[in-house]
Amino acid sequence: MSSGYFKIAGGTVYDPIHGVDGDVRDIWIRDGQIVETPSDFDIRPDKTLDASGLVVMPGGVDMHCHIAGPKVNAARKMRPEQKRKAEKVVRTSNTRSGTMGSVPSTFATGYKYAGLGYTTAFDAAIPPLAARHVHEEFEDTPCLDKGFFVLMGNNHFVMESIHRKEPEKLRSFIAWLLGAAKGFTPKVVNPGGVEIWKQLPSGNVHGLDENVAHFDVTPRQIIEQIARAVDALKLPHSVHLHANNLGMPGNWITTLETMKTFGDSRGHLAHIQFHSYGGGEGDENTFNSKVVELVEYVNAHHNLTVDVGQVLFGETTTMTADGPLGYYLSNAFKSKWFSSDTEMESGCGIAPIEYRNTSLVHSLQWAIGLEWYLLAKDPWRVVMSTDHPNGGSFLAYPQIIQLLMDRTYRQDMLKQVHPAVLERSTLADLTREYSLNEICIITRSGPAKILGLTRKGHLGPGADADITIYTPNDDKTKMFELPRAVIKSGVVIVEHGEVREPLTGKLLYVAPEYDTSIESDIAEWFEKYYSIRFRNYPVPLDYLHDREEVACAGL
Amino acid sequence: MLTLRYKADTTVPVEVEGLTPSAVRGLSIAEIQRFDLFHGNRKVPLAEFFEISGDPADARMEFEGDLAGVHWIGAQMSEGEIHVRGNAGRHVGSEMTGGVIHVHGNASDWVGGEMHGGLIHVHGNAGHLVGSAYRGSAKGMTAGVILIDGSAGNEVGLTMRRGLLAVGGECGDFVGANLIAGTVLVFGPCGNRPAAAMRRGTVGLFGANPPSLLVSFRKSCVCQPTFLRLILRHLESLGFAVPSECHNANYGIYHGDHVAVGRGEILIREN
Repeated sequence: MSSGYFKIAGGTVYDPIHGVDGDVRDIWIRDGQIVETPSDFDIRPDKTLDASGLVVMPGGVDMHCHIAGPKVNAARKMRPEQKRKAEKVVRTSNTRSGTMGSVPSTFATGYKYAGLGYTTAFDAAIPPLAARHVHEEFEDTPCLDKGFFVLMGNNHFVMESIHRKEPEKLRSFIAWLLGAAKGFTPKVVNPGGVEIWKQLPSGNVHGLDENVAHFDVTPRQIIEQIARAVDALKLPHSVHLHANNLGMPGNWITTLETMKTFGDSRGHLAHIQFHSYGGGEGDENTFNSKVVELVEYVNAHHNLTVDVGQVLFGETTTMTADGPLGYYLSNAFKSKWFSSDTEMESGCGIAPIEYRNTSLVHSLQWAIGLEWYLLAKDPWRVVMSTDHPNGGSFLAYPQIIQLLMDRTYRQDMLKQVHPAVLERSTLADLTREYSLNEICIITRSGPAKILGLTRKGHLGPGADADITIYTPNDDKTKMFELPRAVIKSGVVIVEHGEVREPLTGKLLYVAPEYDTSIESDIAEWFEKYYSIRFRNYPVPLDYLHDREEVACAGL
Repeated sequence: MLTLRYKADTTVPVEVEGLTPSAVRGLSIAEIQRFDLFHGNRKVPLAEFFEISGDPADARMEFEGDLAGVHWIGAQMSEGEIHVRGNAGRHVGSEMTGGVIHVHGNASDWVGGEMHGGLIHVHGNAGHLVGSAYRGSAKGMTAGVILIDGSAGNEVGLTMRRGLLAVGGECGDFVGANLIAGTVLVFGPCGNRPAAAMRRGTVGLFGANPPSLLVSFRKSCVCQPTFLRLILRHLESLGFAVPSECHNANYGIYHGDHVAVGRGEILIREN
């Protein structure tokens, strides 16, 4: 008789949330979830996967990537020359065809993430106006549970509420907007700066206390107020911040100020690598690493979390809601440029670029990313990301793992980059090597915890049965780029790199409560300025594919 | 010589990518018959569309029949010789690095798209985008020679980087647009906005009634450039018919395009 159980037997298990560090144990799965080992010895599993000698971890969680939405599609359309020459993803009996390059197509994105052992991914920048399309795109991005952050840092209603000092209204609007888009948390990108960029030729803000014309608010107020609202709404994840002055020499001062701005509020600083630069503006001779100064603050402040945004050498496509940054990059690289203005909500800039190891700036960016991993004391608050595809592809994660776990490899790589990196960063002096347990933290358990996903990132009873099984290898790139098996919701979706069962995955969203009397205010504003009608804006629940509401239980 | 006689009658595109002289050289006839072609999105063996005979050992291939619906003939070839006795479809000699292709009929669009070397001679007419960059690419043709005896369509030599491209008949709009470098010569009439946004290189408009140039070109002088005589003689040596009046004509030289780098030149025959 069928028992409904699936057992992963005898694997070397890493489950840092439960303090399991490489212990040999069995994992029992039923109805897509991990369950207690049945006490009745007569129960036999329907299926057993022999994992003896293999490494068992929760499925990977990418908390900051760009895999859906208008910017990603614009970038896909913008790089035919790259897609034409890239590896082809050929249709099989159970998978769809696709294209690669730095911005893979939807189905290919899902297959490739799963191929690396990742089962959850969050798109970091969706204008809510495009939410409906994003849900459709997510349905075509298989093998992953997905969610997205909603762009709000330059939203006109947000800035007006802050200007009028109406925190309750701001809170209700944020809750309404998240619910309307079926998003996960507010994303703030270059607060105020994108709005100025939309107002003036080459406009931007350069510091936290600059005034944002027309709205009469400052970037500091935007960050502070949204962070407070997010905490008051008890959202599972904090505000997700792309700080001001990304990529600019000397921006570490702004970054440190931004960290202080959070006060006691929770805050996540995205792709912190791009915000850790010393030196004078436009002067390459003074460009250097300020990780030591910033990491000290993060180490001491437990309300703050970061993902790294590691840079890897090679060609890629940058895409950002930070419109002025897109313009800056396309000028710096003399490349194609896409820019757009998303009505009341946001901006967008896209430019193809190439990181070269012969360039001092690019080499330093590479080193600064690694410094963040190696200097952060608490691996639970530093998350692996490449800000895919901005710093590099998610496909480079295995290489980053090797850089962290293998000091010799790292030193060899350091010899191949611009020599001035040795003086301008501390990377050469760092001897730390990550353990498998720490890798497990920065790639799954940590991000799951930071996102407030109680059923991800661990292997205890009640967790979603998203599990990756690796064959141990001293070559960590090899080990992590080709898992032996990937299990999603209790189903083996990938074996030996081949997709077996491309499950669609589900949408993770929040539905915070708010004072609904605000809706008439929003409607009035909306009908006045938006290109679509108010009633057509919210995405209804029945529009979504498989979904799961994540409770607003706060910290 | 390997002879491939096209026997199919289909409106669905047939793609012969990879079927180059060097790829078939070491194969037996039976192996060549099994070579995978695409018919629309379906893979089919070559024998379903072609009757083949002869011997591929000398790296010479001859296609017979109306191949207007057969695309990528000679794409990426590196050596040998291909003759098409009839019309050819799109992308003839695309990205080829060496060897020779003769089309004894008309060819469709993208003849020699992003070509890197060798010679393509179309004895009839060609379509749009001869020697051009594919969409999104930074560079078109980078080396080699393309000769079109008849006419060609729009955007001939778009974003070309180097090489020689000659059209005996008329040409459409945007000849040599966005040219990075290289030489495009048109011996018949041509359409509007020739050499728009050219950075460097040479565009020769030798037909009657040349179009008015964009305002971002400036006339510098009238002369009889020596290099042009050499190029014309070279073209004749390759079997391309150069009108006799071109040899001793005066040419007006216009520099531009000043909205781009502005180091290119347009040559217009004045008598």
